[in-house]
Amino acid sequence: MRAPMRGGGGRGGGGFSGGRGDGSGRGGRGRGGFGGRGRGGADMTRGGGRSGGRGGGRGRGGGRGGRGSGMKGGSKVVVEPHRHEGVFIAKGKEDALCTKNMVPGEAVYNEKRISVQNEDGTKVEYRVWNPFRSKLAAAVLGGVDNIWMKPGSKVLYLGAASGTTVSHVSDLVGPGGVVYAVEFSHRSGRDLVNMAKKRTNVIPIIEDARHPAKYRMLVGMVDVIFSDVAQPDQARILALNASYFLKAGGYFVISIKANCIDSTVPAEAVFASEVKKLQAEQFKPMEQVTLEPFERDHACVVGAYRVPKKQKPAS
Amino acid sequence: MPEEKKIIGLTWEPKLPSLLLGKKSGSNDKSQNVPETSLVYKSNSELIDGLFVPPNDPKKVNKLLKKQVKDTTGKNWFDMPAPTLTPELKKDLKLLKLRNVIDPKRHYKKGDSKLNTFPKYFQVGTVVEPVSEYFTSRLTKKERKPTLADELLSDKSLKDYRKRKVREIEAKNQPGGVDKWKIKGKASWKRAKQRRH
Repeated sequence: MRAPMRGGGGRGGGGFSGGRGDGSGRGGRGRGGFGGRGRGGADMTRGGGRSGGRGGGRGRGGGRGGRGSGMKGGSKVVVEPHRHEGVFIAKGKEDALCTKNMVPGEAVYNEKRISVQNEDGTKVEYRVWNPFRSKLAAAVLGGVDNIWMKPGSKVLYLGAASGTTVSHVSDLVGPGGVVYAVEFSHRSGRDLVNMAKKRTNVIPIIEDARHPAKYRMLVGMVDVIFSDVAQPDQARILALNASYFLKAGGYFVISIKANCIDSTVPAEAVFASEVKKLQAEQFKPMEQVTLEPFERDHACVVGAYRVPKKQKPAS
Repeated sequence: MPEEKKIIGLTWEPKLPSLLLGKKSGSNDKSQNVPETSLVYKSNSELIDGLFVPPNDPKKVNKLLKKQVKDTTGKNWFDMPAPTLTPELKKDLKLLKLRNVIDPKRHYKKGDSKLNTFPKYFQVGTVVEPVSEYFTSRLTKKERKPTLADELLSDKSLKDYRKRKVREIEAKNQPGGVDKWKIKGKASWKRAKQRRH
């Protein structure tokens, strides 16, 4: 049984069981999932059993059973383009975000897929994008105005982990774009490399994002930097990488986990101080969204870098 | 008669009898009746020596080319095509818009409320479950249906709710009057009349 969409249809997303069911989490950083949302006991996808993260129910009484998952294998859905370029929405009994699969027939992290047969007989496949596992998807469902990634973009992804979100970004930019995925941990880097073997537009880099000089030979100029490093000095890490690789007038998307920076002050204060830090580094934050129903005390900040000054009209 | 004319096209072209039998004026009428959709079809009068020659006017050529380009969302959404709207597809899209009344326990974001506007670009797909969800979230072969409407109709758990709602609405809309005095078919005609007196 899965719980129906959260109260009053506040978010369109829905349709996702929480947590990561498969064992390939980031070391010790597992997300507790929405364990309390009462899926039947036999369900494989019940929120991360082994993770010690936040865990537990979130005050939403258990056993809010629905009538079975709305997106069962074999059911029909209608796929429509999303407002964001390269992103799609699958509508059925419930809605799901999805991206067009670059490698049809293969799932990266045991996600659901949607196969479509076109009128002219060609086959297309989409992969469902779970906002509980991807902060970028959570930001999109949170209503961020623009993620600045579109087919053909070049993206530097800091904190790639096992490459679940990276695979969706790789779908999003398509064969014309490139994703440079930086991850420090060898363990999750292994999954990342295995994923990149099948996706030609992903370049995995197992290096410390604090030292961009080490991988400067691999990375070209990029249009967008996405940063999900969850480190106390993440603003500095982003600024370093931006100074090396981000084009003037490029964009950044950074996910901030308040607990990872300072757990003693309220989350809003942490976000504000991070935004201040970013502004000091030639970034121009344009908007901030909370990832609330999907992540606790997270915010996603989107903005531009080294924005060229507006020319004054000649008098 | 082609022998008299100067041949413009290929000299080796076989002289096939035209597929359109009938007079020239008749074929002209037909071409007016044929809608714009048939790009392949050209009436005999428009062909030159049995061949299609593109018009000289660059404006007209551009128009022709534009018509031949397939209607898609463009490269920003990976050329998602616009399907032809069949009645079944229309029904499914309407169902999607009305889905908030299908299940009382499920709530949705408010979409556009206009029932008769359909998205231009969309595709209908089937969900493929990962192997790990084989026993939990999968429809058996019997439960799989070709359209959304069929899926909805075959769902046993929603049937009771739907029937109850339909009955409620019918009861509300029922006109007044004593039920037993009503004429129910021919058989009861006489008795109903008697009952009335």
